[in-house]
Amino acid sequence: MKFIDARDKPRDPWHTIDGDDGPMVTLTPAPFSLLTLLQWRGVRSHWPDGMPVGVLLANDVEVSEIAADLPRLALVALQFPKWIDGRAYSQGRLLRSRYRYTGQVRAVGEVLVDMMPLLQRTGFDAVVMRADQSVDAAERALGFFNGHYQGDALDNRPLFALPPGASNAHEPEFVNAGASI
Amino acid sequence: MYQYTEFDKHFVHQRAAQYRDQLERHLRGQLPDDDFRALRLQNGWYVQRHAPMLRIAVPYGELNSTQLRALGRIARDFDRGYGHFTTRQNLQFNWIPLDRSADVMDVLASVDMHGIQTSGNCIRNTTSDCFAGVAADEAIDPRPYCEVLRQWSTLHPEFAFLPRKFKIAVTGAAEDRAATGWHDIGLRLLTNDAGEVGFQVRVGGGMGRTPIIGTVIREFLPWQQILVFIEAIVRVYNKHGRRDNAYKARIKILVKAEGQRFIDDVNEEFEHILRDDVDGTAHLIPQAELDRVSASFALPAGVKPRAADVPAWQMQADAPGGFKRWLERNTHAHKLPGYRAVTLSLKRAGQAPGDATDVQMDLAADLADRYSHGELRVSHDQNLVLPWVQETDLFGLWNAARDASFATPNIGLLTDMIACPGGDFCALANARSIPIAAEITERFADIDELYDIGDIDLHISGCINSCGHHHSGHIGILGVDKDGKEWYQISLGGSDGSALATTSVPGKVIGPSFAADEVADVIDAVIETYRAERVTNEHFIDTVKRVGLDPFKTAANATRRSTAQVA
Repeated sequence: MKFIDARDKPRDPWHTIDGDDGPMVTLTPAPFSLLTLLQWRGVRSHWPDGMPVGVLLANDVEVSEIAADLPRLALVALQFPKWIDGRAYSQGRLLRSRYRYTGQVRAVGEVLVDMMPLLQRTGFDAVVMRADQSVDAAERALGFFNGHYQGDALDNRPLFALPPGASNAHEPEFVNAGASI
Repeated sequence: MYQYTEFDKHFVHQRAAQYRDQLERHLRGQLPDDDFRALRLQNGWYVQRHAPMLRIAVPYGELNSTQLRALGRIARDFDRGYGHFTTRQNLQFNWIPLDRSADVMDVLASVDMHGIQTSGNCIRNTTSDCFAGVAADEAIDPRPYCEVLRQWSTLHPEFAFLPRKFKIAVTGAAEDRAATGWHDIGLRLLTNDAGEVGFQVRVGGGMGRTPIIGTVIREFLPWQQILVFIEAIVRVYNKHGRRDNAYKARIKILVKAEGQRFIDDVNEEFEHILRDDVDGTAHLIPQAELDRVSASFALPAGVKPRAADVPAWQMQADAPGGFKRWLERNTHAHKLPGYRAVTLSLKRAGQAPGDATDVQMDLAADLADRYSHGELRVSHDQNLVLPWVQETDLFGLWNAARDASFATPNIGLLTDMIACPGGDFCALANARSIPIAAEITERFADIDELYDIGDIDLHISGCINSCGHHHSGHIGILGVDKDGKEWYQISLGGSDGSALATTSVPGKVIGPSFAADEVADVIDAVIETYRAERVTNEHFIDTVKRVGLDPFKTAANATRRSTAQVA
């Protein structure tokens, strides 16, 4: 999981194209533009080949809307307007498992430490966490389980479809490893 | 019952460790209340009126004696010495301080138990028939399928934050003892003409403000496909279920609003998964996996059906009358010759329906060890069941159950009522349930009278959230709040879909709410009306259906005192 500090611009070149009244409707292609779906639709026909572009998808939009564009997109940012609104998990899962998207899937909005295992397992590989969140705690949150029952975006096969011994569930010392600080 | 593998054992310990980390961050001030809430809920921790409430999962109602003793120990060491069995076959504690909650999770993990997804807007503990695997009317044992569902739904990463809670119930018997029509997904195992096993799938049932019976979305789905089909249902719900209004967020509202379009969406999503997704067929259940899980549900070692040449057990001619009654009401037909399933009644004077003390939990565990191969069930009606009792042990068990106050011969009768904890404990409740239940229990203490009234379901909820299933009661009592006072709406004619009234249906309200001190009189009047109106051998529910609500309304209104003006 890549942890992105939204204030650290040099390390994360992606930027939205905003005017005084929100996202600008007309824009000039520039590398690492993160566009709304509306913006993207305005420029997709003439966006230069090879210029990195991303789309910020609202969580009530079907992923199939951008399916044809996915090979051109280096980044899809999915939104959590509230952290308990889980629609973007389905979007992430479909991007990876159905549309075989290999670019970055980034979680933005109210992204909290304890969402990390869910995000990772539904295909997210980058997050911009809420400003008060701790990267250390988020990394620890990714380490509590060493196997799951159902398949996920990391491995679509459930436990019962894995070859015997494929899961790492037999390391007894793991049980208390993250138990407390 | 299911035997935890090493993987399963590690999993619940890992979950306990994860919860401890979250709790410690919370107690250190690094995880604010608002952020911690959803995390603790998905481990079963509510904050209630007096203290956090812990809801512990009893998967499809199966419990062994070691687990029950551990629950008794938790009641003794962490709570105030008692717990409450719920209609969803879970167990709730009410008095555990939050700062000890992680220690309780460790105790639970040590006996293969947890509170995973017993609350929150996620897929909840799957429920089933309390006689699963032993019922005489069962065609297919639902437990292996329930266990496969339990595993699949446990910490499903995509479906942890749905619009609202999501409940699945499964049955494999002729009689629906799991109220499947009332669930978000209701599954009935059946066999098609070719002899293949599959599910009839219902979706969109539920209680609350809008009682709806689930719609049949598939008449026959091959069992291998059930996980994929449920994934399709829940994904469509996750995407399209309402999130703007918690009262309209259950899947029933989506199914009702969208109708055929919802069904089409689910079928399309189902096809997509199988056809288009990477490893899209990976969640089709292989025979080997069903076999592996089913092996756990083989007959317990030592269970031997009565041989054909051994005469059937006969009750002694001079057996006490109390034993005969108990035999009739509290024991149930078994698939094995020579065996009965036995209900330990948790409905008795002086204790709230479904409550058991730590001592009673220990005693029930002892009875399970002595008479039922260490196995118990929690029933939808909030009782305990011993599933493997030899008929020749029944008299001994009756005596032992009496000593432990489990032998009230009232199963299926008026005082075997369902009741939520209500306003005495629950922060959501508008009114108390327990005093109403107590007053009715006291009023109908005469066992001869109870027998004369016969089979009847009385369900009490302290608020519209319907945890006490008032919608499905032949008599339903719903607590409502007006001007800060407790009032009770009475409804008649509801059904959970079990033997007496096989079509699930919500009851109809018989008029303006009654005051708390009028409720027992109303029940009395309703019962007296039934006795006056009934024809020979007619059950209460059938009389209500035949004569309609009017005579009951008239009788109920005649009991009004404090509400006389409004009626």
